[in-house]
Amino acid sequence: MRAIKVLIVDDSAVMRKIVERCLRQAGIDVKEVVEASNGIEGLAALKAGPVDLILSDINMPAMDGLEFLAGLRGLENATGTPVIMITTEGSESRVVEALTAGARGYIRKPFTPDQVKQRVTPLLEAMR
Amino acid sequence: MNPALSERSSARVRPDASWTTMMHMAAREVFQLMVNSDVQVCANPPERQAGKVSAMVGMAGLLCAIFRFRCAEESAISIAKKMLGVQKIDNPSEAFDAMGEVCNMLAGNFKAKISVLADGCLLSVPTVVTGEDYDIRSLPSGEHLEVCLEYEGKPMWVTLEISG
Repeated sequence: MRAIKVLIVDDSAVMRKIVERCLRQAGIDVKEVVEASNGIEGLAALKAGPVDLILSDINMPAMDGLEFLAGLRGLENATGTPVIMITTEGSESRVVEALTAGARGYIRKPFTPDQVKQRVTPLLEAMR
Repeated sequence: MNPALSERSSARVRPDASWTTMMHMAAREVFQLMVNSDVQVCANPPERQAGKVSAMVGMAGLLCAIFRFRCAEESAISIAKKMLGVQKIDNPSEAFDAMGEVCNMLAGNFKAKISVLADGCLLSVPTVVTGEDYDIRSLPSGEHLEVCLEYEGKPMWVTLEISG
């Protein structure tokens, strides 16, 4: 698999670092990580340049993950970019809402690097 | 809030005897997966809660409550170091941020274990308060569930303050 550029959107800086660490521990070749603390910053980052994979929290201030997903529609730099939601929500309706809005999968917190790998690897393999 | 949740929010869920066990189970899972540590129920809990760092997450919907996680600053720093896999925390705000995330995961994992709550209430973003000297005054007719856990020999508390 080629090295990838990842956008991690989460209001917690600690969680952004943990997600990055899990990706690397899962053996995913991450060449660059772009961080955003909410959906607004995430959309701005994507306007500046495309990424290969987006991992986004759902529950965030300013613009949450579902609004962020809606904002991705029509954004040229995000066309075809897989999005995985990371959430503490056990709420099925929120997950269904995210999948309906275009997310390709979700990871529920707390998670292990293996769980991240299971979600991310098939998407990256499909991109080859 | 989604329409189904809004419709149901007038009918509140009351806690039962299993909830404190669920709070403990939720905490154990979060600590095992994210902190790589085990936590046990504190055998001799102090009479009063103490600890400089308190993280809180609001719950709204079928359950209106505040989910709180409180521990000593030393414990918060240790938790943050283990979550990040580092030997040292340069900025104390990282420990507070980690506490907020732990509380968020505790609340989310707890509500996922109560089938009616999983889809029946939403969580706020976490708030972290620092300082020892404060009291929580429950709302009238509210209920208070508390579990004292032990982490690295120190007590920490998981509390659910339920609005009446």
